[in-house]
Amino acid sequence: MDETFGNYRILGKAIPRVDAKAKVTGQAKYAADIEVANLLWGFVKRSPYAHARILNIDTSKAEKLPGVKAVTTGKDFGGFKWGWSGPTRDEEPLAVEKVRYQYEGVAAVAAVDEDTAQEACDLIEVDYEPLPGVFTPFEAMEEGAPLVHEDRPGNMCVEYHWDFGDVEKAFAESYLVREDTFQTPRQAKGYLEPPAVVAYWPDPDHLVYIGAKGSPYFPYRILAKCFNLPLSNVRIITPIIGSDFGGTKNDMTPADYSAVMLAKKTGRPVKFVTSQFDALTTDLRRHPMWITIKTGVTKDGMLKATYVKAVADGGAYTRMSPLTMFLTGTCMTLPYKLPNFKYDALNYFTNNPSSAAMRGHGLYHSRFAADVQLDMIAEELGIDSVEIRFKNSIENPKPGEVYETVNEVHVASCGMQECIEKVAEAVNWKARKGKKKAEGDKAYGMGFAAATYNGGTKLSAHNACAAIVRVCEDGSVNYLTGATDVGQGSDTIMSAIVAEVLGIALEDIDIKRVDSSFTPVDPGSYGSRVTVLAGQAAINAAEDAKKQLIEVAAQQFGVKPGDVEIKDRKVFVKSSPERNMAWERLVRVACYETPGKVIIGRGYSKQGISLLGLADFSKGVGDIGTNYSFTAQASEVEVDVETGVIKCTDNNVIAHDCGFPLNTQAVETQVQGGSYHQGISAAVYEEFKMDSGQTLNPNLIDYKRPRAYEAPMAQVIHVLTSDPYGPFGAKEASEGSTCSAPPSIVSAIHDATGVWIKDIPAQPEKVFWALKKKREKEQK
Amino acid sequence: MKGEMKELKLTVNGKPYELKVKPETLLVDLLRQELKLTGAKVGCLDSACGACTVNIDGKAVRSCSVLALQANGREVITIEGVADGDKLHPIQQAMIDHGAIECGFCTPGMVMSARALLAENPDPTREEVKESIQGNLCADAGYVKYIEAIEIAAKEMRGGQ
Amino acid sequence: MIAAFEYFAPKTVEEALSLLSKYKEEAKMIAGGQSMLVVMKQRLLTPEYLIDIKGLTALDYIKYDEKQGLRIGALTIHRALEKSPVVQKHFGVLSEMEGNLATIQTRNWGTIGGNLCHSDPAGDPAAVFIALKAKFKLASSGKERIVEADEFSTDYLEADLKPNEMLTEIQVPNPPPHSGTAYEKLMVMKGDMGVIGAAVSITLSGKDSVCQDARIALSNCSSIPLRAKKAEEVLIGKTLNDGLLTEADEVAATEATPPSDVHGSAEYRREMTKVFVKRVAKLALEKAKAA
Repeated sequence: MDETFGNYRILGKAIPRVDAKAKVTGQAKYAADIEVANLLWGFVKRSPYAHARILNIDTSKAEKLPGVKAVTTGKDFGGFKWGWSGPTRDEEPLAVEKVRYQYEGVAAVAAVDEDTAQEACDLIEVDYEPLPGVFTPFEAMEEGAPLVHEDRPGNMCVEYHWDFGDVEKAFAESYLVREDTFQTPRQAKGYLEPPAVVAYWPDPDHLVYIGAKGSPYFPYRILAKCFNLPLSNVRIITPIIGSDFGGTKNDMTPADYSAVMLAKKTGRPVKFVTSQFDALTTDLRRHPMWITIKTGVTKDGMLKATYVKAVADGGAYTRMSPLTMFLTGTCMTLPYKLPNFKYDALNYFTNNPSSAAMRGHGLYHSRFAADVQLDMIAEELGIDSVEIRFKNSIENPKPGEVYETVNEVHVASCGMQECIEKVAEAVNWKARKGKKKAEGDKAYGMGFAAATYNGGTKLSAHNACAAIVRVCEDGSVNYLTGATDVGQGSDTIMSAIVAEVLGIALEDIDIKRVDSSFTPVDPGSYGSRVTVLAGQAAINAAEDAKKQLIEVAAQQFGVKPGDVEIKDRKVFVKSSPERNMAWERLVRVACYETPGKVIIGRGYSKQGISLLGLADFSKGVGDIGTNYSFTAQASEVEVDVETGVIKCTDNNVIAHDCGFPLNTQAVETQVQGGSYHQGISAAVYEEFKMDSGQTLNPNLIDYKRPRAYEAPMAQVIHVLTSDPYGPFGAKEASEGSTCSAPPSIVSAIHDATGVWIKDIPAQPEKVFWALKKKREKEQK
Repeated sequence: MKGEMKELKLTVNGKPYELKVKPETLLVDLLRQELKLTGAKVGCLDSACGACTVNIDGKAVRSCSVLALQANGREVITIEGVADGDKLHPIQQAMIDHGAIECGFCTPGMVMSARALLAENPDPTREEVKESIQGNLCADAGYVKYIEAIEIAAKEMRGGQ
Repeated sequence: MIAAFEYFAPKTVEEALSLLSKYKEEAKMIAGGQSMLVVMKQRLLTPEYLIDIKGLTALDYIKYDEKQGLRIGALTIHRALEKSPVVQKHFGVLSEMEGNLATIQTRNWGTIGGNLCHSDPAGDPAAVFIALKAKFKLASSGKERIVEADEFSTDYLEADLKPNEMLTEIQVPNPPPHSGTAYEKLMVMKGDMGVIGAAVSITLSGKDSVCQDARIALSNCSSIPLRAKKAEEVLIGKTLNDGLLTEADEVAATEATPPSDVHGSAEYRREMTKVFVKRVAKLALEKAKAA
């Protein structure tokens, strides 16, 4: 798989990651590895109830325990509330009047060691008045149901009603109309590294926070506000992060606030290391959704209209549910042409841990429903799965052209058809048609699916994304960016882009991990935005630095700047390349030529297509992304028809149009990972089981995360479309495979057994009963 | 007596140590907090994730599920002891070159499991490679490139056959 | 995390036994700790005294004798049983079972004795030892007694093991001629605790397929590893055929009282008991015919 694309020195190839060596030798420091002198250990006290009023908190016994240095409760925060955006600030650092989900934090302790802190928490006495709760959106929406937030009637958190075209008329004109309801599971983010934080105040006006945050500028702003500090005094430092997937490491936890508060009270650094149990009981989860989808098609399977009703369990607090529900609807008009589209989104508060973003955010639910239903439609009409997708796909716009959907989403590049063709060819789809394979108690089947994902997400007030290229006098380059590598490889890509633009080597670039005292602002790692937007900032900053250096070279050579180029670590006159200078010499000349000259390139990302506006959530109109990836996938499964156990075979192919694979290797690993860990896992393995707000399987044995033995050795095919709005033509990579995997698995199960599993995960017992029901029905 | 510190003599990454530890100390905490070897990670409480995997007398073992005192008289190798000074072990190099490493949290454990495998089985089948890391959860990379990297390393260690 | 305890690391079995005699219920023995440490971290288990026998190499052995059969020291690690050429050759089912027991890391440190004394009905070894008619040697200061494998587990996480006793050896008789034993469990992923499991041993009276003896032991189907005696009686003395195996599996399902949990309902487990008893009985029968 060592392919090369494009004509670049560094990009378009397999680029080993800049942080790989540190990780593979154990030198890389994650938040829990950070040690600071004079450290205290923190522990959070949590509510045993999913819904209760807090009548009283008595911390006196805890305070007296030897080794305890400070205690904090919600009252210490003076009524501060926070949230993802202005209207959604409904959450407190530690609960004050009410707890709304089990294990919500109510107090915290800092002590000389973790055991003492934990013991002290046990000594904190909290008087609760348990309240009745609501645990599904259906309970939440009932008349007279207990309210999670008193000021939110009907427990309604987010409600959208979009209407494009005329779906009713289109249904009336359709040859076939189907309505089906699908369900997606309550899913853990699944990162292996539980969140950890170290906080300290070098002096009463300055805060240092070291934590595993994929969007460090969120805590930067939030902590500044909470503790009444100017932003310049808030220093957020990110160590190496053990992945995030859009979840809690984006966002604030009780441990984060408590660490800062307790550090303030004690005057000492405070460290909180949460556990996987905390992660699996309280960290943000993917929304479970109930998607009812009604679709009308013509006789030859062309889509005419789709109506989607998405009911979601938002959990206890709003967090970013407004974005989730927007994303669930916005790309229903991709990757197929859809002239009429209606969307009702209903996201409810419940007394469960909050739901929020997760890899494949939003689209994963609706694309799953839509693509499985498309196969159901294909089956009813007798049309092939690949054919129906191919004919409905948006065609790749010609250069300069843009495809606009009915909800004003703009697509400048679309490799959907090419992806479909390449996957179908790779698995020899035509040859397998009609070949039913069954061996003893095993049945085999293959499913096909297509998906899209938006990249370069732009959200108002969070758009600012900047970068600085600082050329040191010896020719080495510091790259300062707010973009945060959570494991997806963005540090490598940013470094590679800078090196490519400057005409030097990857080894010349040293990228600094985010330190808000020094790195410029960036929204962080969510919405598949880093490559697209921070990549653009990287190009702009590098070009700015390059321009300054070229001016110096031009002066040295006595030519116009336009006559000078830098390539392969050499600056030369284009028309007579024998007139050249080594990179290091150019930099020395630039830095020492006139006293005080400093070569610093600044750049920031600008919006892509000018006719794009920011999306309007309530109307469902506009682009949330800069560009869109497209993915086709074929998955083969083995079904044990007696037990219901599903296994993937190695016959698993994914074609991914990410515009241009800047780092081919990283794209492959990401696509394989997105497909298996977040996609196939949701289709077959993972689900939180709940009982009235209590998580019944909060450990990695009972909550199944996918493992190596069962991993399909998925093949990744690169499809290039060179998007005009992405850096070097790039778009997002791999949230698409998170969305293509689940429908491909469900279709494969159907192909093997004739059974549609519409509520994933297809765990063995569920499949067993479905198969049994089918057999009994056939016998009648 | 309860809480009485006990003597512990062991070798870690070739270096002999004589320590006094509280009996309830787990090996992973000894390594991370006493010896400042933070390469072994704590990813769970259920002996499920394998991020803490080390080699004890050449065998892959979860250091979170071993009392430090049980390592008495034994040879422990952690991720920090795998490379030969600046020279990376073929497993480490293969994982870098092949693009297996993403967030890196599972990586030390993966290396330790693979190292133990190849020490006792220099020509493993694919199935044996998969089985060797079945106890190492990854959340990112899909396992494919880890499996391939281990095979590449095995081939190189066999002299290219 | 783990509550403090007083720690002992006896160097001989006698020393270990005298510690047990002294501290009895207040003491717990730890071998590999692969099950124990999980619950100790959660503070569900907080012994005052911890007797660490992991270093008792005297109990780490696998001995085979054509007359006596297999003798396994209680401190033998799972991986050793899995890889032992002698076990693979003569008691293949033990090696196969070990190959699916958790993951390699666990098998490299956890011991067969520790696993059996933990007495989890979902455990694999107990069911297989019951099918193999194994016996367990229990020692206390100055005394020894033998307990049949199918009488050792008495309840969920409880065994016929007095506070002053320890398991020292597992004795597995040589399989009779024309016999075969197999074990399979329902796993979603390799190494999972079985949703249920079935160990079946079939002894034929000769080449003519009359079943002389049968043992059926189920894991995770009850509060103990369950011997499905009624199901066994369906098979014994008969010429085995498909219909008879089906009858046996249905009877076994009625004997089971499986739990309901996040991995499966009791009803599903009963259905799976039928599937696995039949599958495993077929495997055992094939082995018996080939033996």
